[in-house]
Amino acid sequence: MAKPTRHATQADPTAQDWRHIVRLSKVDMTFGRVQALSQVDFEVGRNEIVGLVGDNGAGKSTLIKIVSGVLRPTAGKVWVRDRPIDLDDYSVRMAHELRIETVHQGQSLGEKQPLWRNLFVGRQITGRFGFIDVKKEREVADHLLRQAIGFRGHGISADSTVRDLSGGERQGIAIARAMYFQADLIVLDEPTTALAVSEVRKVLNFVEGVKAGGRACIYIEHNLAHVHEVADRLVLLDRGKVAVEFAKGEISLADLTNQMIALHEGHGRAPG
Amino acid sequence: MRALAPTVAAISMMAAAAGLPAQAQEPLGAGITMYFQMGGNPGDGSTLPRTNGAKAAAAAFGVKLVEQYSGWQPEKMLNQFKEALAASPSCIEIMGHPGNDAFAALVADAEKRSIVVTSGNSPLTKLKDMYTANGFGYAGVDLYEGGKLTAQKMIEYGGLKKGDKALSYGLRAQAERGKSDQGLYDTLKAAGLQVDYIEISPEVDHDSSLAVPILAAYIQKHPDLKAIGTQHGNVTAFIGKALQDAGKKPGEITVGGIDLSPATIDGLKKGYISVTLDQQLYLQGFLPVMQCVLSKKYGFAGLSTNTGAGVVTPKTIGALVPLIEKGIR
Amino acid sequence: MPPAESVRKWFLQVEGLPIVAVLLILVIAFMIAAPEVFLGYRIYMSFLATVPPLLVLAVALTLVIAAGEIDLSFPSVIALAGWVLGYFIHDLGLPWIGFVLALVSGALVGYVNGILIARVGIPSIIATLATQFLWGGLTTVLSQGLSYSLGDVDQFLLWRLLVGRIGPFPVQALWALAVAAALWLVLNRRRFGEHLLFIGDNARVAEVVGVNVKREKIRMFVLMGVMAAFASVLLTLENKNFFNTQGGGYLLEVMAAVFIGGTSVFGGKASVVGTVAGSFIIGMVEAGLVATGLQGFWVRAVVGIVFLAAVVGHLVIEEPERGRASLRILLGKLAPERKTPP
Repeated sequence: MAKPTRHATQADPTAQDWRHIVRLSKVDMTFGRVQALSQVDFEVGRNEIVGLVGDNGAGKSTLIKIVSGVLRPTAGKVWVRDRPIDLDDYSVRMAHELRIETVHQGQSLGEKQPLWRNLFVGRQITGRFGFIDVKKEREVADHLLRQAIGFRGHGISADSTVRDLSGGERQGIAIARAMYFQADLIVLDEPTTALAVSEVRKVLNFVEGVKAGGRACIYIEHNLAHVHEVADRLVLLDRGKVAVEFAKGEISLADLTNQMIALHEGHGRAPG
Repeated sequence: MRALAPTVAAISMMAAAAGLPAQAQEPLGAGITMYFQMGGNPGDGSTLPRTNGAKAAAAAFGVKLVEQYSGWQPEKMLNQFKEALAASPSCIEIMGHPGNDAFAALVADAEKRSIVVTSGNSPLTKLKDMYTANGFGYAGVDLYEGGKLTAQKMIEYGGLKKGDKALSYGLRAQAERGKSDQGLYDTLKAAGLQVDYIEISPEVDHDSSLAVPILAAYIQKHPDLKAIGTQHGNVTAFIGKALQDAGKKPGEITVGGIDLSPATIDGLKKGYISVTLDQQLYLQGFLPVMQCVLSKKYGFAGLSTNTGAGVVTPKTIGALVPLIEKGIR
Repeated sequence: MPPAESVRKWFLQVEGLPIVAVLLILVIAFMIAAPEVFLGYRIYMSFLATVPPLLVLAVALTLVIAAGEIDLSFPSVIALAGWVLGYFIHDLGLPWIGFVLALVSGALVGYVNGILIARVGIPSIIATLATQFLWGGLTTVLSQGLSYSLGDVDQFLLWRLLVGRIGPFPVQALWALAVAAALWLVLNRRRFGEHLLFIGDNARVAEVVGVNVKREKIRMFVLMGVMAAFASVLLTLENKNFFNTQGGGYLLEVMAAVFIGGTSVFGGKASVVGTVAGSFIIGMVEAGLVATGLQGFWVRAVVGIVFLAAVVGHLVIEEPERGRASLRILLGKLAPERKTPP
């Protein structure tokens, strides 16, 4: 699937000897007068599930938008597979080429568009003269639907519009898209919000499957129980800074909850 | 900075010298400001000659002319009159589209402030009669008479007879402007023709090329149609096209129109248009300025001039062409 | 699925078919009411000469609306590009250069629109309303208020190529259909078109899936400007005249054509085929009504009814449940004595 691109020299996805799939160093993100992130150091290991937690407005979504190429940090450096990234070049398209895929909270799919189009937007299958091969895209989409998370016999086809799908089904499509393009790092922003209980379990299984498959994942969650269960490492973000990190097993769910509340109320801010 | 004082002095002296000849021979309208309602949009066929006439008179008399364009919308004309009032000019020229009643209070206010008000293009008879002594005149076509004259010439040149079928395509829905179409319609009817009427839509009013398929359809529906009459300047220009599209040859249908836009010249030359009413729009611009100057300076009464005294035919168009292209006729 | 149901589904899924059906029904109705006009070829030749500029404008605007924007400045492009063409033909005798520069002037208007909307951030309805006045006013200044007659422009190759006649058949109809086909391909089979659909669907989503929203919007407005200029060239050459105020009568007609065709005003969903049918409906309806003897006063009302019927029809197709519910409410209000629940 990986076509040789001009970015290949920057962070060749097929290179073997690297430790961190992505690393941010001293990253700032300012919007006008608002400092969304300050001096953030953040990394994700090769086969690691990193749970990113924090209160509303802590900067979680901003952080992953930098990772996925949507936003350009106002200061700091970014490495992908231990190679430095030229931030003037970095974009969503480049992130995709580097096999970093993101499922954004509630805004990964065009609602009025059919599934096949959502699957391939930004990296369409083209034929002669650059015309989109709609037939092939439909075929691949159909194929994917049969294999993806819980779509058996629901009357949903490649031509279905996203608007006709439930929250869980949409999530399933967005995740299926990320997996189809063989993400080495998959970023999930609040994937279980607005999902039914049974669908939540599927997402957690999926996250574990990512680990089992030798890949990495950044997992943002409000529900501490979920993320506590699956994460290898937990990063707490508070008001744009990394407050504290915990490895798996280092903190109980109850203590984690208390820590979060303390941070929210302004106590117990850890150094760093 | 050192050169500034001598420079300023030099410029002042030159300015004073330039001003001298003007003082020696002051033009008749010096110091007079006039707000002038031109009617349509800058440059359109039924506005441009008026604008040119007014500008020429203003230049000749030394009057400061302020042009107002309202796209033929009565409400806009009223607003623009209020704007003119606020500027306290020497004179204001208006048109009759809003009607006597709408203007009455505003004109009374102007007259109280010794502003000369005069009119053109479409009449305000009641107000004119009230303020003639203060210089309220009229320079335009009597709309109804204009339509009537056009129809009469259509009958004369086209050899139209009792029982012939005719179409009147116009704007009767508009109170003042519609009078010209009414005149045309009534005259054709009085001569015993069978007259059908169609109202011009706002889209066609603005982009008159849109009239072509509509007229072509009508013509085809009525194969024994003998005459088409309109008093819409831009539509006149396109009737020839409609005849062509419907497969008619020049002269098969007698066509009467108004004004002399470049496209109408073509139609006249080719013989598709039989007669067109010449409003002599230039005079509708020139005469009110002159009226203003004479009334403001010497208190002369308002004069009524009918500028639509004649029609143009394929025979007479030749001599007028160069003037038309300049926007004078 | 029973055969009737599958036919219905097919009918509603093929792009634009419902509105094409409406167009055909309209034509047949005119044929019945005025056979001496609508069974002959002449009236259709007349339409094929006047509908093309409307069609080109409407199809281009369809893409703009698909992206969730609007462009109200195209009437001023009709004036400006028309002036450029008229000036170069009338004053300088250089038709081809005039043609190219006319298209360039359209691109310029589009580019300015794009910058104002995508970079400066002014909502498109306001920005294009403002530029409409700007470029319209500029045209008046440039033309000194004069209109030009292009007299014997039909001698030029440019004229014969763009608006000439093959027998009675107007060539501009072919150009207009070519433009429609090209823009259909752009919208449905090119990356640029998909990007526009996503931008119209949800600009935030478009950004996160890798669309350069600002750049694509600017390109789109430039395309609209060039297409409007092309429409202006067709119009000006066909009329053999440059009218100083040309273009104004097209604003509402073009928008009506787009929305009758089924393109959603919210963006994200568009139908070029529908717009083509809508353009012909708008272009033909007044002539048809006149030929059937209907008074001119009625025309606007009828166009309004057709418009509303089309819009409600599209709603029923898009969201059958909501559409059926609305119809039930409407019928309920018209027949209040119904004893049995609907």
